Amino acid sequence: MPTRCCAGVLALLAVLGLGPAAHDASAAAASWTIDPARSQLTFHPRLAGGEFAGRFERFEATIRFDAADLAHSSLLVVVDLLSARTGDTDRDTALQGSDFFQTTRWPRATYTSTGIKSLGGGRYEATGKLTLRDVARDVRVQFRFDSTAPPRGAAHMTGSSNIRRLEFGVGQGDWRSTEWLDDAVRVEFDLALRAAR
Amino acid sequence: MPLRNTAEAYGSLAKFLHWAIVLLIVPQYFLAEAADELPNGIEKLQILDWHKSLGMMVLLLALARIGWKVMNRGLPGPIGEPWQRKAAAAGHGLLYLLILAQPISGWAMSSAANYPVTLFGWFQFPALVAENHDLHETLEEVHEVFFYSLIAVAAVHIAAALYHHFALKDGVLRRMLPFSRS
Repeated sequence: MPTRCCAGVLALLAVLGLGPAAHDASAAAASWTIDPARSQLTFHPRLAGGEFAGRFERFEATIRFDAADLAHSSLLVVVDLLSARTGDTDRDTALQGSDFFQTTRWPRATYTSTGIKSLGGGRYEATGKLTLRDVARDVRVQFRFDSTAPPRGAAHMTGSSNIRRLEFGVGQGDWRSTEWLDDAVRVEFDLALRAAR
Repeated sequence: MPLRNTAEAYGSLAKFLHWAIVLLIVPQYFLAEAADELPNGIEKLQILDWHKSLGMMVLLLALARIGWKVMNRGLPGPIGEPWQRKAAAAGHGLLYLLILAQPISGWAMSSAANYPVTLFGWFQFPALVAENHDLHETLEEVHEVFFYSLIAVAAVHIAAALYHHFALKDGVLRRMLPFSRS
């Protein structure tokens, strides 16, 4: 798995190195790069019956997507868990600790799709594996992909997934209880994409 | 005891709102102090959830109390010299203001740190301000200053009520007492 992460990161860097002149969205390689400044990845836990949003400030994605060729479409997302921010330093520190992400041992989470199917109406569902801490589990991701909006060569991808944090051991000790922190955590993303050559 | 106020005494709804607000505010200090002593964790979260929920109940009841006061013109008649009436009106105005400002500052303080505010988890209030660390620090101090101001004004309020009852021996205290017959 580490080799795949690095390959993804290197591919992304190589693509970014080409600069912004990627307007030729030639059909063959439906490969996309994210514009980090206009893209976000957020998580929405329910704490004491109230929902709040946190965000991952650093993540990388290798996206191959063609609505007409879903068989060759794929998502690879690498999330830097150290970049999790919730607006409160105490809570951010707790997230890094052994009760939650334990980033000293597992600093990254990765999602690798194994298949993508159409749900109709511009909606899709990816199946794949999410690796978080030392656990890999099947996770479905629902998303929209819109590449028709101008400018050409750009696309907008939004979607979400419901993750059960306890499947991954996110929540040790007291936090194994779901009385004050729900098991289900919705993850949302809103990505500004640019066609890569 | 009539629901509405009469010329002699407050009605049962005004009395209920007055004393419910008192009973909800009293534990707030102890909950906040207890939470302050605790390390981050479930227990602290639980105590702060109570503190925030009671605070939001105070806010809702205070709004109801003010709304009812405005709708209810048949208030007990004023008592005392003109300066005393003015002082009482100013004191009550300040008291209402602080009873509203205190939960609002707490609500904003939670919002600034991106913590949800609910009524015991049944209902989630929207964030009052956007996430902002510096604003949170400021509001934390504001919340404390408002609390001590509220205690000071409430102390004067209680002293004035007792002065009416024991020194002036008029019916001012009795007309707000829960089970008084006046």
